[in-house]
Amino acid sequence: MTAIPRTGGLAGLARGRRKRLAPYLLLGPGIAWLIVFFLVPMYYLGTTSLQTGSLEIGYTFNWAWSNYSDAITNYHEQFVRSIEYAGLATIIALLVSYPLAYWIAFRSGRWKNLFLLLVIAPFFVTYLIRTLAWQTILADSGVVVSVLRSLHVLSSDGRLLATSAAVIAGITYNFLPFMVLPLYVSLEQVDERLLDAAHDLYASRVTSFLRVTLPLSLPGVFAGTLLTFIPACGDFINAQLLGTPGQYMIGNVIQSKFLQITDYPQAAAMSFILMAAILIAVTIYTRLLGTERLMG
Amino acid sequence: MSATAEPLATSATPARTKRARRPGRGPLAWLRRHALSIYATLALIYLFLPIAVVIAFSFNEPKGRFNYTWEGFTLQNWLHPFDVPGIQDAITTSLEIAVIASLAATTMGALIALAIARYQFRGRGLINTLIFLPMTTPEIVMGSSLLTLFLNQGVNTGFGTIVIAHIAFNISYVVVTVKARLAGFDRHLEEAAMDLGANEWVTFRKVTLPLIAPGVISAGLLAFALSIDDFVITYFNSGSTVTFPLFVWGSARVATPPQINVIGSMIFILAVGGMLVNVAVQYQRAKRASATA
Amino acid sequence: MTDHLTRQQFLRRAVAGGATLTLPSVLAACGGGGGIKSGARTNESTTPVKTQLAKTVTWSNWPLYIDINEKTKKHPSIQQFEKKTGVNVTYNEDINDNDSFFGKIEGPLSHGQSVGRDIIVLTDSSGLPARMIKLGWLEKIYKDGMSNFDNLQPSLQNPSWDPGRQYSMPWQSGMTGIGYDPNKVGGTLDDVNELLDNPKYKGKVTLLTEMSDTIGLVMLANGDDPTKITDATFQKAVDRIQKAVDSGQVRQFTGNDYASLLAKGDIWACFAWSGDMVQLQADHPGLKWNLPKDGGMLWTDNMLIPKGGDIFTASTLMNFYYDPKIAAEVEDYVNYICPVVGADKVLEKTDPGVAKNTLIFPTDQMLANAHQIDPNAVLNTDYKQKFQALLGA
Repeated sequence: MTAIPRTGGLAGLARGRRKRLAPYLLLGPGIAWLIVFFLVPMYYLGTTSLQTGSLEIGYTFNWAWSNYSDAITNYHEQFVRSIEYAGLATIIALLVSYPLAYWIAFRSGRWKNLFLLLVIAPFFVTYLIRTLAWQTILADSGVVVSVLRSLHVLSSDGRLLATSAAVIAGITYNFLPFMVLPLYVSLEQVDERLLDAAHDLYASRVTSFLRVTLPLSLPGVFAGTLLTFIPACGDFINAQLLGTPGQYMIGNVIQSKFLQITDYPQAAAMSFILMAAILIAVTIYTRLLGTERLMG
Repeated sequence: MSATAEPLATSATPARTKRARRPGRGPLAWLRRHALSIYATLALIYLFLPIAVVIAFSFNEPKGRFNYTWEGFTLQNWLHPFDVPGIQDAITTSLEIAVIASLAATTMGALIALAIARYQFRGRGLINTLIFLPMTTPEIVMGSSLLTLFLNQGVNTGFGTIVIAHIAFNISYVVVTVKARLAGFDRHLEEAAMDLGANEWVTFRKVTLPLIAPGVISAGLLAFALSIDDFVITYFNSGSTVTFPLFVWGSARVATPPQINVIGSMIFILAVGGMLVNVAVQYQRAKRASATA
Repeated sequence: MTDHLTRQQFLRRAVAGGATLTLPSVLAACGGGGGIKSGARTNESTTPVKTQLAKTVTWSNWPLYIDINEKTKKHPSIQQFEKKTGVNVTYNEDINDNDSFFGKIEGPLSHGQSVGRDIIVLTDSSGLPARMIKLGWLEKIYKDGMSNFDNLQPSLQNPSWDPGRQYSMPWQSGMTGIGYDPNKVGGTLDDVNELLDNPKYKGKVTLLTEMSDTIGLVMLANGDDPTKITDATFQKAVDRIQKAVDSGQVRQFTGNDYASLLAKGDIWACFAWSGDMVQLQADHPGLKWNLPKDGGMLWTDNMLIPKGGDIFTASTLMNFYYDPKIAAEVEDYVNYICPVVGADKVLEKTDPGVAKNTLIFPTDQMLANAHQIDPNAVLNTDYKQKFQALLGA
């Protein structure tokens, strides 16, 4: 039987036009949603960031770029710290998650979906209860701290809570599924026959991992690190519950400007600076990974 | 590629013995063989440690209103999980919102991922940036600027606005996750299907969708988790509707009833239990299929 | 939302596509503090209050802040009100933080819209009730219909931010003092100076994220007056706290999550609210709470009527809770400080344990030692900024 002609005649013309329209139809609903419910609010936010004033005297739009410069001068410490903590958390999450995702993808057989669910199910339990549980586990009088103190990892009156370690650990833990799931998604796609072929060509397990699996899983690594790093930069809740003033991140500052000081222009300006910083970091990262292909 | 067979022959023998991987004796060899499984187990334990504590404390019997230290074992909390007023409505609302928002976001996000991965179109870079932006926005400004939008349009805040907000922030996560799957997607399979007479819709249903399913399901799970746990954005756009996180944060000022732990554990157990049933059903189906084959 | 478009203007803009996205209209409609808005409006309500009860009244309050029947999950006092007046009460426990709630309602209120609530409850020490009065966002309560108004505790009748109680009626009060574990600190602890300076307590102390409470207690320890704050006294308190933070003496600044830290022994002493201790002591009877010897802080959660709320019905509801019998019912459950005179007499017969608890019915001596924060200080943005900087923000 002959193949259905795909490009000939009127039918082909219609299909061709459909093909051209196809991406826009696919993009349509989601992008429209984002434009209405994200871009428009961002526009309001943008105009707010260039205003001065207060609720009492009213706000005036006067291109107040000082909101931006003040934010950088006063809070660059918190900006930098946020990038640091988010970066560390992402790296640790990657190191913890990759083997786990690998194991689920290659070794768990028919239980794949179950383990996938097991990875994310802890996060159906509200953040506050999870954190209270961690506070119980890592309490000064708890088992973990006692063991660490006797191993001299901690000083005799050292603690785990209310430290940078606690904040970074909190961020790492709370973003683990965002690292595991994309990694799994990418790893699961790796054709085992490729690994068999590498095996047949006398590659050791390590070599076949480094030369076959790892490169093929890069899209997952890329996605996972983005899904972890980006939101982690703006996180505030871990620093608030698990940290001291010395650990506060830019998210805490924005929170404070917004709620306590009610300085909406400043809060808005800081948000845009944060967004810009993250976008720049992501662009550099993309170039480094050489992932124009991955960016889509 | 060497012309003579000799070098190959000499390298083959030692390599073969190396590769044969003699069944090692001793604990070190066992460790090396099972390193990955051990590591994965440790990682899973790490993930579940706080959940174990949450479940443990759901059996706690504090005399006061706080559930911070172990006071005694009781089954009462599990027998009367909805005794705390408002908790039942809160969790029902949260589940409804999470289901709707994750379904909608997953659908729209997967379509976007498909479009970006497959087609060339103008504005590609802009679209990619637009996808990343919501993830970079601090929740408090995203929540409050959405509220401003609703105010200006005279939309009453409540269930509907929460759903809208959740879909808005979930789309990005879905797109990034599904794109990771599409990156390794083999277009030839689709072309083969079309060559065999399938039209685009059938190809999509029978070839594309099953192949990207893990990505879509993972994205859906992520979206569900994000939605059911969201606090800040929900707070600003909720009006008087109370979701489970709002309830927990709200009551935490004066009390942390063990029932909160019970509900949290219930969701977890139900999800895992549901999946176990699913796996069992699949297994039975596969067994039956191979038996009758 | 403040400009009224003529039909022509609307059609023209709609045709241009994206009606609301033209720059001037967006700026005018901008919320979150956007646009060219007039400043605070004066609260001149010239329309007389309609003395007719509405069919429903919506009341937003803090969680677990009203009596409840654990079996029926209903609030007996509210049921009694509904039966007596025939008004349906929608009771929402959606306030869990003053600043966050304000952030949520400032949008509609600054646009001149109603927030769909007739009564809200905010703490005076957050400065927000005073601020809302200044912004013109509150309705005056209808005192003419309030027969129980005089049951208000004399010490609460004339706060400087609302003289004569024109806009507010206290719901509950509380005191801020020192919560501690006597076993860990070795006895009674009633000196804030000890918390801040004693190296034995290094890393075992937390302070509160509430500016009024923390600054207030430290100022009292410095010998200054928190009811009349000056730049100098404020700075002195800030410097002292900064020293304690830098040296590691202060472990963290907390909301009410100090309760879990104290219960577990991660901290030994903290600035704490009286009502929380009552709850903690149920499981940890050893924990104690004192007013500091230099004095503590007194705060009040106040019932307020936001603009657009039904004044008469709301005032009637407030009045209902100033009946000592009803107040006693509520107090028996809530266990903060009751603002209604006579409630303790009622409780002496029904629940003497509660009636005798000085954390719920403090003695006159205790009240004399508890001060209310200078309301102007909490509205001062400079002060707020300095305090937030202490917190790391």
